Amino acid sequence: MKKLNAVESDAQGEAALDSKALEAIGRALRAHYDDLVQAPLPEKFAELLDRLEKKERRGDARKRRHASE
Amino acid sequence: MRGSDAMPPNSFKDDLVAEIKNLRAFAISLSGSVSLADDLVQETLLRAWSKSDKFQPGTSLRAWLFTILRNIYYSNYRKRAREVQDSEGVFARRVTVSGDQESHLDLEDFRKAMTKLPAEQREVLTLVGASGLSYEEAAAICHVEIGTIKSRLSRARAKLVELLALEETSEGLIERRLRHAG
Repeated sequence: MKKLNAVESDAQGEAALDSKALEAIGRALRAHYDDLVQAPLPEKFAELLDRLEKKERRGDARKRRHASE
Repeated sequence: MRGSDAMPPNSFKDDLVAEIKNLRAFAISLSGSVSLADDLVQETLLRAWSKSDKFQPGTSLRAWLFTILRNIYYSNYRKRAREVQDSEGVFARRVTVSGDQESHLDLEDFRKAMTKLPAEQREVLTLVGASGLSYEEAAAICHVEIGTIKSRLSRARAKLVELLALEETSEGLIERRLRHAG
């Protein structure tokens, strides 16, 4: 019950904020994030995962050899 | 494979690759620094790879990766982030967010305002307001109740409105300045 009240009063506080200002914030937030998501990625991340995958495959092959010996 | 709709399921690696852009956007938003974010993403990918057996298929990989990144950030990067933010221009590009005339917001101004928020508010804004995660997922990532997520969100929005002086009436603005002048 206590928690519910806390949420309600926050919701009221938010309603009191100017709705146009909140819309502007929401739009800016998404623009900020979308801009980051669309930025070109450095190659190093994909390269790291390639290396990890190759290493794992080599490990698996070694395990299989050990198992068949 | 051509012409068949029974494509093989994506490997864990392919799924990770598909999430890197979002992971990096979250890291930059959280740390306020591109170079720190890239270290964070690198470390997160390494940890995710080594703990891939802990990921439950069918649950959100994005939420799982964000949880890992966030843990690394708070245990190793938070202090460094503060130092870097002071000395480094965070974002290179200047973009204006389109909107109606009264609510034009410069993206750089917005980003500066974001860096002034406590990290707890910044992350909730990013998780719920931008990356499309649910309140429930955000609550699980931040290890808090949904009510806490909601109240952080409304405090963060109120603070941004204040920092960006978005109050519509000039009267409100004047009142606030008078109060500051004390």
